Amino acid sequence: MDPSKAALLASAAILAVLFSIAFLGTSGEKVIVATTTSTADSGLIDYIKPYFEAEYGVSLSWISLGTGQAMAVASRGDADILLIHDREREEQFVSSGNGTLRVTVFYNDFIVVGPIGDPASASSQDAKVCMGRIADAGRSGTALFISRGDGSGTHSLEKRLWAASGIRDYENSGWYKSAGSGMAATLRLANELGAYTITDRATFCKLKESMGDALKLIVVCEGDPALFNPYSLVLLNPSRYPNIRYGYAIDFLLFITSPEGQGLIGNYTLSGERLFFPVYGKTECLGLPPEDEAVAFIEDLRAHR
Amino acid sequence: MGGIEIFLDGISKAFGLILSSDPEVLGITALSLKVSVVATMVGAAFGVPLGFLIASRSFCGRSLLVAVINTFMGVPPVVVGLVVYLILSSSGPLGFLRILYTPQAMILAQTLLTFPVVCGLTISSILGLDPNLKETLQSLSAPKLWEAAILLRESRIGLIAAVIAAFGAAISEVGAIMMVGGNILGYTRALTTAIMLYTNTGEFALAIALGIILLTVSFGINLLLTVLQIKYRKRR
Repeated sequence: MDPSKAALLASAAILAVLFSIAFLGTSGEKVIVATTTSTADSGLIDYIKPYFEAEYGVSLSWISLGTGQAMAVASRGDADILLIHDREREEQFVSSGNGTLRVTVFYNDFIVVGPIGDPASASSQDAKVCMGRIADAGRSGTALFISRGDGSGTHSLEKRLWAASGIRDYENSGWYKSAGSGMAATLRLANELGAYTITDRATFCKLKESMGDALKLIVVCEGDPALFNPYSLVLLNPSRYPNIRYGYAIDFLLFITSPEGQGLIGNYTLSGERLFFPVYGKTECLGLPPEDEAVAFIEDLRAHR
Repeated sequence: MGGIEIFLDGISKAFGLILSSDPEVLGITALSLKVSVVATMVGAAFGVPLGFLIASRSFCGRSLLVAVINTFMGVPPVVVGLVVYLILSSSGPLGFLRILYTPQAMILAQTLLTFPVVCGLTISSILGLDPNLKETLQSLSAPKLWEAAILLRESRIGLIAAVIAAFGAAISEVGAIMMVGGNILGYTRALTTAIMLYTNTGEFALAIALGIILLTVSFGINLLLTVLQIKYRKRR
């Protein structure tokens, strides 16, 4: 064996290392939004992306996670802005100093869905009644309930509904299954098992569109104000996370709260159905407290651009 | 749609996507290939020399070290993903590199998966050589580098098998690249993470189509490596 072959081998190894180093440090101008599976899986952000990029020249990237995981990722400084739906924890996030601003930007609604035929007779205008009936049927062995079980905003809402219905023992019950999955995966599981679950309307419509008749779930409760699902943008604290792209996060915030951004959100449809409703600066009409301070801050930012 | 129909629909969709050279699918496929090929190359660049050193020397604790490497051959990708995420996270030790949610992070994570595979299989194939060969080489008091080259040459079939196994581990995994790449459309979305996404959103036929493309691409690379392996076997 001649040394030239050994040299060839060594140089190939070095080349491989160089090749990989060449890949390092090639990231362009982008903003990373940590968001929920509902906004991503429904196609809303896909729809907004080209408009935002054309106006600001910044590439829009997003990672879709449950609200709990999205906040965990953001609290390590790994995302530039949050678009999530869990009011209580959003407020905690801001008051703990991780965020500087929280503003409601649009809403959709949650629905309770269950198998065709509704074996628990859970159908009701009132979410508390509906959940109570599912639990009753569960105890008598005629219904199953699938929970997201992943600390997401939907999971938080579900826990609030159980509490409001006065049901406490659910987590250790045989009729209650914790999926530990995203919304679409949980819906597919409920579909396979003929079970009840809570979903945002957008993900349900998306799955209905792609699966058609194979999705054997129907809506058993909708329209209860307790099922309102407001989404917020949360700005991260730039002094706590100096590495984030704060300026681009502001760009995204201004775009979503602009008349154009709000209009795009309201115009987005899936199978002809509007899924998200813009509500920036108009939270009173949802029965939520006004957000004058946040709105004033954002409009001040816009005026100084 | 029943299972068979989805599968058939998936096959026809796969052909449609390949023939129409859909830019999104091309991009996803190219990224998968780039990440896994580079991760395999880097894993081999470190795994082969280290494996050779471990196999050709006897030292205290060698069996233990080999057992550890063999264990890491089966490390769950999602654990590697979590560790790499914590390291590359803005609050982590290498956060200053700012490469979380980039293809580079995906390459790094997959390299940690390919390295033990190459290293472990290199050790096996060197240890599997005829012990007389090494003794003969030593009796000739040949230079160390020359001796190493002969031993590597003699174990080349095993070494190519190691690279094939490492590439297979990389191209097929989803847990690690999902966590450190973030499945960002047009940037870090690879074939496996896209399959998972489309499965979640109920687009089963599209998911099957991407699975078929993944297998096709993987077959191409493996064909190349296998031809190389068999050709070199003949040239004794």
